[in-house]
Order: sequence, then C-alpha cells, then structure tokens
Amino acid sequence: MSAASAQYAIDIDERDPSKRAPLVLGQDASFPAVTDRVAKIVEEKTPRTWLLFLALAVSLALVLAGSLAKLVWDGLGLWGLNNGVFWAWDITGFVFWIGIGHAGTLISAILFLLRQKWRTSINRAAEAMTIFAVLAALIYPTFHVGRVWLLYWVFPLPNQMSMWPNFKSPLLWDVFAVSTYATVSVLFWFVGLVPDFATLRDRAKTKTRAIVYGILSLGWRGSHRHWLTYEKAYLIFAGLSTPLVLSVHTIVSFDFATSIIPGWHTTIFPPYFVAGAVFSGFAMVVTLMVICRKAFGLENLLTIRHLENMNKIILATGSMVGYAYGMEFFIAWYSGNEYERFAFINRAFGPYAWAYWSMISCNVLAPQLFWFKKLRRSIPVMFAVGIFVNIGMWFERFVIIVTSLHRDYLPSSWSYFRPSIWDISLFVGTFGLFFTLFLLFVRFFPVIAIAEVKGVMPEADPHHHPEADHAATEAAHA
Amino acid sequence: MRRLPILGSSGKQYWRSLGELQGSAEFEASLANEFPEGATEAPSGVSRRNFLSILGASAALATLAGCRRPEEKILPYAKAPEEVIPGNALYFATALPFAGTALGLLVESHEGRPTKIEGNPRHPDSLGATNLYAQATVLDLYDPDRSQHPLERGEKRTWAEASTFLASFGQGLRTSGGKGFAVLTGAHRSPTLAKQLAKLQEVLPQAKVYAYEPLSRQNVREGAKLAFGKLLEPVRDVAKARVIAAFDSDFLALEGSAIKHARGFAETRKLDQVQDAKNLSRLYVVESSMTVTGGAADHRLRMKSGEVAGFVFALAHELAQSHGITLDGDVLASLGAAKTTNGDKAAAWVKALAKDLAANKGQSLLLAGERQPASVHAVVNLLNLALGNVGATVKFVPAFDEASDGPESLLALTKAIDAKDVETLLVLGGNPVFDAPADAEFARAFGSLMTIHVGTHVNETAAVATWHLNQAHYLESWGDVVAEDGTASIIQPLIAPLYGGKSDIEVVAAVAGIQGSGYELVRATWKAGLLDVDFERKWRRALHDGFIDGTAHRDVLPEASTADLGAAIKATKAADDGFEVTFAPDVHAYDGRFANNGWLQELPDPIYKLTWGNAALISPATARELNVTDGEHVTVDVGSGRVSLPVIVAPGQADRSVALAIGQGRRQVGRVGKDIGVDVFPLRTSAGFGFVSGATVSKGPGTTNLPRTQEHFQMEGRQLVRETTSEELLADAQVIRKMDPISPPLLSLWHDWEYKGHRWGMAVDLSTCIGCAVCVVACQAENNIPVVGPDQVLLSREMHWLRIDRYFEGTQDDPVSVSQPMTCQHCENAPCEQVCPVAATTHGPEGLNDMVYNRCIGTKYCGNNCPYKVRRFNYFNFSKREITEQRKMQYNPDVTVRTRGVMEKCSFCVQRINEAKIAAKREGLDRVPTDNVVSACAQACPTGAITFGDLNDPNSTVVKKLSLQNELGYRLLDFLNVRPRITYLAKIRNLNPELESA
Repeated sequence: MSAASAQYAIDIDERDPSKRAPLVLGQDASFPAVTDRVAKIVEEKTPRTWLLFLALAVSLALVLAGSLAKLVWDGLGLWGLNNGVFWAWDITGFVFWIGIGHAGTLISAILFLLRQKWRTSINRAAEAMTIFAVLAALIYPTFHVGRVWLLYWVFPLPNQMSMWPNFKSPLLWDVFAVSTYATVSVLFWFVGLVPDFATLRDRAKTKTRAIVYGILSLGWRGSHRHWLTYEKAYLIFAGLSTPLVLSVHTIVSFDFATSIIPGWHTTIFPPYFVAGAVFSGFAMVVTLMVICRKAFGLENLLTIRHLENMNKIILATGSMVGYAYGMEFFIAWYSGNEYERFAFINRAFGPYAWAYWSMISCNVLAPQLFWFKKLRRSIPVMFAVGIFVNIGMWFERFVIIVTSLHRDYLPSSWSYFRPSIWDISLFVGTFGLFFTLFLLFVRFFPVIAIAEVKGVMPEADPHHHPEADHAATEAAHA
Repeated sequence: MRRLPILGSSGKQYWRSLGELQGSAEFEASLANEFPEGATEAPSGVSRRNFLSILGASAALATLAGCRRPEEKILPYAKAPEEVIPGNALYFATALPFAGTALGLLVESHEGRPTKIEGNPRHPDSLGATNLYAQATVLDLYDPDRSQHPLERGEKRTWAEASTFLASFGQGLRTSGGKGFAVLTGAHRSPTLAKQLAKLQEVLPQAKVYAYEPLSRQNVREGAKLAFGKLLEPVRDVAKARVIAAFDSDFLALEGSAIKHARGFAETRKLDQVQDAKNLSRLYVVESSMTVTGGAADHRLRMKSGEVAGFVFALAHELAQSHGITLDGDVLASLGAAKTTNGDKAAAWVKALAKDLAANKGQSLLLAGERQPASVHAVVNLLNLALGNVGATVKFVPAFDEASDGPESLLALTKAIDAKDVETLLVLGGNPVFDAPADAEFARAFGSLMTIHVGTHVNETAAVATWHLNQAHYLESWGDVVAEDGTASIIQPLIAPLYGGKSDIEVVAAVAGIQGSGYELVRATWKAGLLDVDFERKWRRALHDGFIDGTAHRDVLPEASTADLGAAIKATKAADDGFEVTFAPDVHAYDGRFANNGWLQELPDPIYKLTWGNAALISPATARELNVTDGEHVTVDVGSGRVSLPVIVAPGQADRSVALAIGQGRRQVGRVGKDIGVDVFPLRTSAGFGFVSGATVSKGPGTTNLPRTQEHFQMEGRQLVRETTSEELLADAQVIRKMDPISPPLLSLWHDWEYKGHRWGMAVDLSTCIGCAVCVVACQAENNIPVVGPDQVLLSREMHWLRIDRYFEGTQDDPVSVSQPMTCQHCENAPCEQVCPVAATTHGPEGLNDMVYNRCIGTKYCGNNCPYKVRRFNYFNFSKREITEQRKMQYNPDVTVRTRGVMEKCSFCVQRINEAKIAAKREGLDRVPTDNVVSACAQACPTGAITFGDLNDPNSTVVKKLSLQNELGYRLLDFLNVRPRITYLAKIRNLNPELESA
C-alpha cells in the first residue's frame, strides 16, 4: 500500500469502503492515551508561552474595560457615529461576534444529529468559542445604547410604569434570541463537560482541583443511568440548539431586513446571514484549532481530516455567501428600484468601495482555494484563509451597515463615517476578552471532549474486533 | 394662530375696564397693584425683581439688591391677568431696529424673562413673522460674554463711577462748547436719539455727529437724490407686482424690509385654484452670488456685481429705445455710452426683460442691491417712475435724516482726528475699529483719542477705548424706532437690565447734562411730539399695539430731476476681465455683531450650508482655473490688503467673482465667536465698499475642514422636490400627479389610526419657501435645541430638528436652486415607531409621533429607520455643555431640556398644542378653536410657506392651503407606505417663453 493512501485522504478506508478512516491516529488511538493527551494539558505546569499570550490577551481586555468606562462616562459621541449613520462599528462588531459563535452550535448540534463523528474532536473548543464570542458580542448591544443604566427596560420585567417593551421591534427579538442562544449554549456546553470534569476530578493531584472539578462534575459516577441521562440530555440540547443555529442569526438579520433602508430591506438576509455566520464561525474554529493542535500536540486527535472537513464547510458556506452577493446585485438591478440600485452601485463604486472589494476578495476569492485538495489540507493555507475570511466577514457587516446608512433616501443627509480611536479600541478590546477567556478555557478545561472522542473510536463499539482493525491501525502508524 | 390674545376667539376687549380706558385714578392704583409683592416672589420663580439677587451670588451686586424698582409701567400686549402666573406666558410688544427699518415684535415672557421672539402681526414690517437675527437676539440678551460693567482702560468700574465720569465729562465739554468732541453712531432711526443728539449739539455747538454703518444704505439715498433731487427712501409693496427684477439685490432675505418683501412675494405666488397660475408674478434676478432671492427666481442671470451697472443701463436704454419710456436726453446719451451686455444670454435678457416690463406697466418692480453704486439706484428709480410703478409697487418716503452713514463718513472722521479737530469721541454702539473701511485707518486714529464706547459687548472697539460703558440690550431698554415707511414703535423693555446697563439715549443725555432715565426721555419725546393730546392713553395704546397709529409716511410723488445723473452714469466704473471681490453680510455674524451668537453661527447658511465661519465663494469654472476645491485656501489681494481663507466651490457664482462675507474673524469676541472665520475687512476700502475689481486671487497654502451640514446638493434623479412651470400646469392640471412613482399596492399590517378629535398636520408650499431658514432658528429657540460647535458639525451631529435641504438642478455653472424644509413627517405608519425596543416613540392620539425622552435608552434604531433622517441624537451632553446661569433663562420652560443618550426630533410643537388644549378646556370648549395652534416654524415664516393646523377642521388655514393637494400636493417618499403627515405643494415657476433657460 502506498504511503499516500496511508494518509487516509478521504473518510473511507480505500481498502475497505465500508469502514470509515479512524478519527484518532497513531499513539493516541486508545482510551487511556486519549485521556492522557487531553488531561495533560490541564494538569501540567503552566507553560510560559501560554502565560505570555494570556498577558497579551488580558492587556487587550483591559483596553476593552477602559474603552467601555470612558464611553459610559463621556457618551457615545466618542465614537464616529453621526445623525445619519447611527450604527457602525458597534453593530458590525455585534453581528461579527454572534456570527462567529454559530460554528460551535452547528458542530455541537447539527453535526450531532447528522451523526458526523468527526465533530467530537472540535466540538468542545468550538462550543467554548461560541460562548466567549456571544459574551464579546453582548458587549455591543449593552453599551451602544445612549443610557446604559436603563438598559433593563428592554426586559419584560414588571414595573411601576405598567410598560411592556415594544414587541414589534426586531431589537427586542434580538434580546430574546440572543439570550436564549447564550443560555442554551452554556447549558449544552456544561452538560457535555460533566463526564470530562469527572475524569479530571478522578485524576486530580491537588485538593483544590479535586474539589473544584468535583463540584463541576456534579457527582458524576459514570454509571449506566448517568450515561443514559447524559445521552438523553445531550440529544434534547442538540434538538433545541439546531433551530437556534438558523433562528438566532435570522433574528439578528431582521434588525436590518425589517427596516426600510435600501441595502437593508431585503429578504435574502436570513439565509445569507446564517450562511455567513457558519462561514465565519468555522473560519475562526479552524484558526484556533490549527494553533491549539500544534501548541498542545493534539495532531492525532485533531487530524488533517477534521480540518479538511471544516474547510469543506467553509468552502460550501463561502460559496453560498458569494452567490448571495451576486444575487443581491442581480435583484437590485432587476427590481428597477432606483434606491436599491443606487445602494449597490454605491457599495461597489462609492466612497466605501475599498471596504466592499476587501470583502469580496476575502470572502469570495479566498475560500475558493479549498477546491484544491492539496490546499485544503495545507496548514498554512487554511490558517491564512481562516483569517482572511474573518476579516472579510467583518467587512461584510461593515459594508451592509455603513454603506446603507451613509447614503440613503435624501441626498441632503448623506455623510461619510469614520471610526474614532474609541471605535477601534473597543473592537480590539473584544478580542482581548475573547482570547482571555479562551486561553483560560484551554488551560483549565478539557479542550477536547474526551468522553465523546472515545465514543467514536472503534474501541467504543461493543462489536469491535481488535484484530480486524489492528492492521488498519498499524498502517496508520506513520 | 397660537393663543395670542390678539386673535382670542372669545372677542375679549383689549382693555380691562372702562377705568383703564379713561386712565382713572383707581386704575392707576390697580396698575401699581398689578405686580403685587406676593405674586412675583414665588419661591422658584425668577422675577425681574429678584433675578439680580440670584445672580448676585457670583457678582458683587449687593448695591443693586437694595435698589427699588423704578415706577415704570410697561403694559403687556395681552388680555389681563391680574398677576403674573408662573407657567403662563405673557406677550409684550416691542421693536428691533434692523437694516434700515424696524421689526415689530411680540416677545414671549415667562415669569419676567423674555424667552421667545415672534413677529407682531399688526406691524407693517413684520406681519407676524421675523428674520434670523430677530429670533437670535433673545439669545444675545443672555450671552454670558456680554459686557457686565463699565471699564476704564480695561479696569472694572461701577456705574456710579461711570456716571460721575460722564457728568464731569459733560460738564467739561459744556465749558468749551464741545470743541474737539464728536459722536459716532450707527445708522439709527430713533426719534428720541435724534432729539438727544440735537439737544447735545445745542448745548455743545462745536460738537460734530458722524454716522457709520458697515452695511450702509447710503447708495440708496444718493440714488434717490440723483434721480429725484431729494433725499428719499423707497418702500416696496411686492404684492402688487407682476414682474419683479432684482439687480444684485437679495430683497427677499436681507435688503430693506425683507420680511415684508417676502410676504408680498408670497402673495404673488398664491394659488387658490389651478387657473391662478395665469396670474403668478415673474421674478428675474441678476446677481453675482446665489442668494435666497436668486434661489426663488424664475429666471436668473449671473454676472459680476461690477457688470450689473452696465446691464441695468442697457436695460434702461432698451426700454427707452424700443418701448417708449421717456428719459432725459442727457441721461439717455450717458446710458448709451455706459451700457454693456456681456454675452448672448445677457443680450437676450435685456430684450426679454424690457418687453416684459413694458407689458406690465404699473405692476412691475425693479430693485437694485444696496451695494450697487448710486447711479444704478438712480436709473432703477427712474425706470420705476417711467413704468408707472411709483405709488403702486414702490413708494418713496422722506429719508429719516440727512446723516450720511457710508465709508466716506469714517474717512471724514479720521481726517478730522488727524487734523486734531476731534480729540474726544463717543461711540454709540457698533464696532468701527473692526469694520471701518481699510483705507480710513480708523483703528490708528481711534487709538490716539480719548474715547468712550457704549456697547453690549467688549468688542474690538471697546477693547481699545478709554471708557467702555456696558449698554442695555434692546430687550432691556426704553427707546423708539421708525420703520422704513415711517411707522414708529416704542421699544419697551421686557426685563430690567441684567448688568445695570444704560441705553445710548441715556448716555447722550448724561453727556448733555439732561436729567432723565430712558423711560422719561422717550416719553418726553412723544409727549412733545405726536402723542401730545391725551398722552397717557395714546402711550399705553402704543405700548400695547407695538406701533403708533398714523405715523406711517404719506408717500412723496417724486419727479425726475436728473441734473447730475448723466455724469454719474458715465463715471460708474465698469468691471474688467480680472477678478472681482464682492462683500456681503455674513449670514451668521451679519456685520460682525452676532459673531458670539451660537444659534446664528451654527445656522447653516441658506445656500451652501456652511456653519461656523465664512468662506470665499468661487464658481466651478474659476475653481478649475485656480485649481482649488472645497476647503482649500485662496489668497485674495485687494490693494495692500491680503486675506487667506478657504474656498467653497459655489454653483451659481459668477466667474472670476469672489464673494466674501464680512463679520467673521473677530478678535475680541466671546467664547462662541473665538477663532471662527476670517476677517475680510482688510480688503474693504471706501472705493470698493460693495465690491471691487482688480483683485488678485491665487491658490494659497492651507486647507480648512469646512463644517457644512449638507455636502450633496444633487437630487440624484430622485423626485424629492417636484416642480413644474405655470404653463405646464395650466395645460395639464395633473402634471404633478403624474410624477407619482409607480409602486405596488401599499398595504399595512396594522389598522389605521382613527382621529375623532384633532388631527394635526402641516402643509409646506415649495413655491413660496425661499429657504431663508428663519424657521430653523425659531425652532431652535422654541425647543431648547443645543448648539454643538464646529467640531461636532464636522461630524454631522448638528441638532437642528428642522433643516432646509437645498438642491441644485441643471448645470453646475447656472443651476436652478430649490429648497425644501425637512422635519419629522409624523408618519401615520411610522418606521421609527415600529423598531424602538422600549416604545419610546409612539403614536399620539392626535396624529403626532411622540418622542418620549425619559423612556429613550438610545439604541438609535429609530434614527436608522427614518428615511428622512430627521432624528437627532444627543451624542454628548450638549445641553449641559452650553448651560450657563444666563443661558438657562432663555430656555422655554414648556419643553424638556434633553440629556445625553436620548433621541430627539420635531414634536410639531406639542407644547403649544397642549397649551391650546388646556386653554380651551379651561373655557369649557371641546375643541381647540380654529387656527389657535401654530408651530414655531410656521409662525416665524415670512412667506407663510409652512402652515400648521388641524386637518380635521375644514375651516383651518392648513386645510384651505391643501385645497389644491390633489393637483399640486405630494408626500415625500410615499411609496414606502410610511404615510407622512406633511404635504408638500409643488414648486411652480413662471417662465418667460422668450428666455429659453431658467
């Protein structure tokens, strides 16, 4: 057998098509090895590099705190907004981060229902990424309001004014959608973590760890009943989260789609935004996983095959997004509506053309590289593409929001928006928050779902015959 | 009409009782009780009397707290309240001397503080409306940078010390007969001041009186002299004109009694039915810069200001040659020699305009701009006379006095100073050190004298004067003023002088050794004059009405007397091929006096929307020639004067004519005007006072970011302002209707609102909106809208609820300009209402879109979803940033002052609606009577372009105005199904078929 085919370039074992290629490779292809590999990250001494990155992330998070404090103190005038462009970097950032979060939910929920076993190596980290992304996102709706101290009025809490919030408003639907999303994501992620916390508890060397992980594992014993309950709960969560993947970003897109501004008022937004969210989310997951697997030696658990599958999803959703761009232009022309036509011509050739074409090159052109197998299995290429896609997706939201607002119906109110230093610092700061949380997660929580990975290894199958697969496993030693 | 008692529906008498009419003793006593101690000393109110004790905490005004209020009775205009009721406004009539006339005003006063200025509907020069400057003067009253005490060489003095000085100064003068003493005034029109000055000259026979006004109307008077041999002033009745020709004259906004002109112009564009389009007037405008008048023109011809004379002469010549107008032979010959028409368009104009004028004898009107030389005015006067317009569209009245207030006045004064004929100078108001013609070298001469400056601010003149006496603002003083047609008004104070200032008449009287306060002096003038019989009653009547009946001049019927005119025509300098520089008042600062007024500085100029400063207006072709674009600087040299300032590329500007605005670049000015704009007075000499040729203009170093509220002036092919010509309208009454866009059926998810009671709405007539922008300032004054400053305007964060959108159509060089007031449309199906998450903007039961400030958390989605972009967000605590103790006093107490983080927008003056409803309820009515509510913008508008009222009331003005809405009316962006409540009436131009382009 050639060395090339031994790479298991495709999911199916070339020699025996009825067998899927192994998801865990090499030395780590046994239960204890998997546990060791993942738990070691949590249990070893704090790596210097990690500390360095954490320091960097925390300093950026402090930039976030400072930007928010100054914003609340002085007022929204610190940003570059004006009396035409009322949203810019703030809502761009909001949609950007929420979009990134969608990958985790899709991996956890939809891929679970579709029985894609390869999801198990990435779902833990991806779900964590979702939660942190949602936290970063929530900063924006909270602080972009003029009077943050009264934000609680958006919640339907009983009050002395006998006032409900306005249920016709898409922003209010956002409140419900995103809070549901955050709640379900956290619960799903936590429930999934319980067996792994138990593993860490059982391996704990210090009293503190034993207690902390003990509390977190909620008394998990690994009994059949526990597993049964666990599987049921997981399935229910997956079922709940699946519609959320579609609905949350649909609701977010309604912020724009239900308005009357040309460039916003379009029915393509729900599928377009959902596709875009999955697109940017997966790009972020790829970027993060490429780093994590190298840093923590997880190449055998998080194989090229996993990454390649993700890249295929990136290609698919990226093409959907590209198609949507083309469709928007076509419909704008086909509609004959002068305002709609102008909105798109302005995007491509107006003062923000530089943003538009950045978006196109990053979102449409970059992922097309993944048609080529060599490129979609290449670490440097996929890392670069992941970053470009995220940049492109940020620009997409920026283009949608700002180009539609800065030149709408009445030319007398046209203006040009420029960000101020506080717009930029706040956005940079959200990355600080995100990476701080992610780094902490990586250090203290099992970054890969140990129990789930074991569940998809051949050893987990009650009908597993070690000899038959031994050859396959041998060949995988490379 | 707002519940001003003048239109009180209950038909109440203006007089409280017969006793009042008869001036009985009981009534006098009751007057004294009118403001009893208890009523005004409300704990939270700030009455006139105890205002000073509140302010006294920050200033050593202990002496004044003990002052007794002098027994001066001012009378409210209104029906009688027994006492001042906090929360109820009173209205007092007064007048503002301005631009060669007087604006009759009704000033709204809350608890003894004037807060808002409206026009006096019965005064001939105001007719209920105001202009930008009248609206803004109420803010000047509360300017924290106002001069608060006398200064001697910069040292603070008390008025006691100043009075002592004045007394001894006057004494000293009297011993020498006033030798070496001169007085410099502005172009005042005050009978009392004239009387005081006359008395002064009696007591001081050697004293001289000079007058100077940087925006002098001397050429108008000299023009009358050249044409009629007498010093006369024109008074126009635009309503009677069918053909109007304005030569470099912005008569609808700035020249003469502009408000009256605008009102009259609106009369000539009224359409009650489509057939009325046959009788519309036609306005021809020849000018160098696009002005408000030029924007309203049916036909506009741009040319240098220096070429206007040649054009007018050509027109006169044509009228004489081809249309039988009789002109003196010498004059005709001179016209033939001096006439010029540059280009085919001008030649076509001369022919067509002459024909139109000749066909409309007795109902045409020609006007020349105040900065045009006297010969042009004279020729225009002769043409008006020959065309039979005199007595109909224009009348001539005797000039107020013989004072010459042009630049030669200051040249003469400087000469006298240099010859040591003048050693002491009393300057009554004005700022001659700043605005004197450059060749007068007045500042140098001024510095060598002993000078006393009386003024409301420590300006450039006060800063170098020996003594500065802080003047009482006109809202704090007694005085009088005569309008251009002779109508006299008493100026009565609304509040005691905030800083103990004195008026100019009091200072002159003090120097002359005459005893008496301003009150007594004014009364004395009138008692000895017109009101001598039955004085008290007539005096109270004058205060009540805001004008004195019977003082309007009977017009003079002049005859041509043109002995000197021929020579003057021949001597008129013609423009050359080089660069010309024209001088006009800056919209914001006027002649400099308003440079510290935040409302005016932030007001976008009506044409190019520049705020906070001035710029050189250059035509697109000339900008290409000089290779400059918006914001880049040019260096302009006139004679030895040089100035560098930013450019605005101005569609409609004449080629090689640079329009400069005077009054900015003030050096000695308060916190608002500091470092704003560029001073162009160094370029203005007496020979080139209105405009000058032979200038050098080059691209200079530097760029300025110009704070403009509108950057795009094209409609981009969108049907925003709909217009047509009268011809097209008469041919097809549905021509505007046919411009409706094709849209799908407009369905709504929601039920329609039902309005059983009132349904407030607005009509905006684009034919009569001239874009003068007084509505913008009126709205700002009424609704406590903050001023944000130039750096925020650069970020597009100005807070004006109402804006005037201006669009240029046609070519860049010769555009047609349209203006469109834009404010919250109070949509039936409002996009903003749907998207606010906390329901802070909701639909009111009478059709208003209500903005609930205290519920708003500031998500700004409503602002995004508004297609008209009329919502304004408080990005910073703008209100807090501009608040001073004084500023607070102007705030309208009926309107919330908004904090940071809250969205705001036009409320259709809901406070006025509620006030009217409360009043109606109090009287037991179930509806507010017809036309009892008027919004601030509608009230201020001189042309009546904005009409506001109850759409459910068939008798209301707004419903009558909308009678043609099926033919002429349209709603903006109605295809969005937002169903706005403001209906625009299309603009109708009346084109002359012989002139191919507009």
